[in-house]
Amino acid sequence: MATETSAFVYHAWLASAALPPGVINGLLKEYGTTEKVWNAFISGHNKSEGIPAAGLKTLKQNMADEWLESAERLLLQHQIGAFTITDSDYPSLLLQMEEPPSILFYQGDLQCMRQNNLAMVGSRAASYDGQKAAGKIARNLSRKGIGIISGMAGGIDTASHTGCIEGGSRTIAVTGCGLDIVYPSENLRLRDRILENGGLLLSEYAPGEKPVGWHFPFRNRIITGLSKALIVIEAKIRSGTMTSVQHALNQGKEVFVYPGDPTSRYFEGNHRLLREGAVYFTTAEDILEDMGWLDNPEIIRQNSGCSGRTQITTSEEEAVFSALKPGRLGFEQIAERSGLSPAVLMSTLTMLQIKGVIEALPGKQYELKDSDSQHYSDPEE
Amino acid sequence: MAKTLTFGVSGVNGYPVHVEVFGINGIPGLEIIGLPDASVRESRDRVNAAIINSGKQMPARRITINLAPADMKKEGPSFDLPIAVGVLIANREIITDPAIETEKIAMFGELSLDGHVQPIAGALPMVISAKENGVRDVILPEKNAREAACIEGINIMPVSHLRQVIAFLEGSGTIKKQEQISFDSLKNEIFASPDMAQIKGQGGAKRALEVAAAGGHNMIMIGVPGSGKTMLARCLPGILPPLSFEEALETTRIHSISGKLPPNSGLMVLRPFCAPHHNASVASLIGGGQDAKPGEVSLAHNGVLFLDEIPEFSRSALEALRQPLEDGVVNVARVKKQAQYQSSFMLIAAMNPCPCGFYGSSRKVCRCTPQEIRRYLDRISGPLLDRIDLQIEVDAVPVQEINTSAPAEPSAAVAKRVSAARMIQQERYRGTGKHCNAQLNNDEVKLYCTPDAEGIRLLNAAMETMHLSMRGYQRILKVARTIADLDHTDLIGSVHIAEAIQYRELDQKYWR
Repeated sequence: MATETSAFVYHAWLASAALPPGVINGLLKEYGTTEKVWNAFISGHNKSEGIPAAGLKTLKQNMADEWLESAERLLLQHQIGAFTITDSDYPSLLLQMEEPPSILFYQGDLQCMRQNNLAMVGSRAASYDGQKAAGKIARNLSRKGIGIISGMAGGIDTASHTGCIEGGSRTIAVTGCGLDIVYPSENLRLRDRILENGGLLLSEYAPGEKPVGWHFPFRNRIITGLSKALIVIEAKIRSGTMTSVQHALNQGKEVFVYPGDPTSRYFEGNHRLLREGAVYFTTAEDILEDMGWLDNPEIIRQNSGCSGRTQITTSEEEAVFSALKPGRLGFEQIAERSGLSPAVLMSTLTMLQIKGVIEALPGKQYELKDSDSQHYSDPEE
Repeated sequence: MAKTLTFGVSGVNGYPVHVEVFGINGIPGLEIIGLPDASVRESRDRVNAAIINSGKQMPARRITINLAPADMKKEGPSFDLPIAVGVLIANREIITDPAIETEKIAMFGELSLDGHVQPIAGALPMVISAKENGVRDVILPEKNAREAACIEGINIMPVSHLRQVIAFLEGSGTIKKQEQISFDSLKNEIFASPDMAQIKGQGGAKRALEVAAAGGHNMIMIGVPGSGKTMLARCLPGILPPLSFEEALETTRIHSISGKLPPNSGLMVLRPFCAPHHNASVASLIGGGQDAKPGEVSLAHNGVLFLDEIPEFSRSALEALRQPLEDGVVNVARVKKQAQYQSSFMLIAAMNPCPCGFYGSSRKVCRCTPQEIRRYLDRISGPLLDRIDLQIEVDAVPVQEINTSAPAEPSAAVAKRVSAARMIQQERYRGTGKHCNAQLNNDEVKLYCTPDAEGIRLLNAAMETMHLSMRGYQRILKVARTIADLDHTDLIGSVHIAEAIQYRELDQKYWR
């Protein structure tokens, strides 16, 4: 481990200047490994044409033992590993893209990159409906063994990662800063959950690198690059999500767009994309079908239908469960259909919520957690 | 020189005031001393006219009137009657019946120019104080008579005109004594105006209201406009246990000194329901003004304070609610006056889920951004929220349900269950100074509200899966205690915990 870590230190050093990937690739091609690049710089025999002046300055500033020590501390403390484009196990998916990242830092399990992954993106300040849709679709894809890749930002990103974890698959987050920093900080718990559940965190930025605005659209290319296709949940016309779409198209990936409410400004971008020919979908099944994965033996097939069924133990729970089967209902309607008194219904709802069978929605509404119907049931039905 | 006896009000308490009238030959005039305020000073003109219109002469002398004790500020027009009587006696316009001890009869009332006696604010505390000072007879305005009629051991003599008083004192007429009205008979006369039976649907919210009433818990309702939050809150006084005599006295006193009692009303039997508008100032809520008058929190004493659109109230007004919510009293201090008023009330708050009001509605789409919603919810501070045990959502009732659903349970039936639960609590907390579950502190929650093993397991599972906060934990236990009391069981079981968790909805969905 110790020798490995010391190699990662030179990775960190070379990444610390945030040079364009093409420049780093050139250096690696020239010298072979990051350590050899370091040695060349130390001995003064380095090739410096093509390196931006500011980057060169940072590299030279960081050429000190103290810097290496502090970098090593960060790497060890946060259990951050790294690999470069010259390593033999560098994922081939990334090699197919423009400007492949030359050095990547990671936490967690690299095996995640080998599963079937889909990218899921959308706005940070997302609508309630968008977050719900993201969670549900991610969960259902995850149940079929599909991993979700996103950017660990707020809103849709958070909902996507969470959905994937809940569905049992491993999720990948590509961040826009050093892996020792959690940004936004309220996602600390999410970061831990991703790792606890065998997921992977990736970043092309060296530990200690701050979250700077331009990092984010740039890292989006890695999100789409690692995925088989891109799923857009919620996008405004001008947004980071649109840069992801651009990357996906450049990389020749399919773009799935969730329709959303046509009157809502949150989904303006979605409808623009759909008009321009993006693939329309509403459920996880749609995506599996279009990806040709429905009959693929690699995809773990699970019994479709509601898994909550097995957890029902009492007749009251059964009554609420059947009342909710057609779709979302308010408290009063559940009371009417199940015939339970308000007091009994209250406690039954709690039990079902704890078991994860139903979900409470704003406005005293409830629905089965795995129902794909987003629609209100017709009260007169 | 003549003396009459009357009473003034300071805070919620009455105190005796001796009216001393001294006439001397000189330039005709009438001077009032003893710290009178403007309304007392104007008394001079009312008294003048009322005496003449009662068939007596206003003496052409220089008259000095002293209101003793001279160091207390005197307010209000209630001194008119004793001043008029004092003036008449001092100038021998009235020769009093020797059988009547004029100086020992307390009298108060405002005079109109034609001599009629008008009702005044604060009659109840004055009569109570009179009784405490050993006074046997009180002459007061007819329209205040019922207010004082529940006080035992004192003769209430209601009058409508100064002439009646004159005739009585001269021995040529009598005043019909007010009959004692028992508190119980008052209770039977009226009942709560809105009845729960009038609310269609809303079974969940009604159940929550019942739990709130049974444990004295504060409650906040979130719901779209028109979902019936105000109507629900208005039903609360009708299902709370009726006021006890002591409570009724406390509450009526405060209303009496604020002049909020309608004429001819007796002691308040129904619990008060105060619903200040959201632009209310701190002083109007808590009490204040030059003379440190009681505010809405005191008027709601032993009753319900309903704050609709609570995020629209000013931050300072909401923060000021914390003392009365915690201590049940407010201290109002002003430069010229200080007072302590009781203010032990149930707080019922209502709000929309977001600025546009339709977040989560099944009938209309919300147009607010998450940031707007967050800002809106953040206007209610954590410490205030900490004092609210029940948080519920109220959804609008669909039209077809309004037309079709079966008649609902009347308030009286709910009130019965509530009273039974309150009895259990009074029994349990006897000797601790507490009387309902809402008042328990954290240590007492441990002592009285420990659920069975299954209940603890459930609660811990809920904390993990439903994103409940630690502050919610104590509240769930308290509310579960009340639900178990409604069930007449001593043991808090998992069903009680499960139901109580439903009343922390906002922790789960809004204040995550």
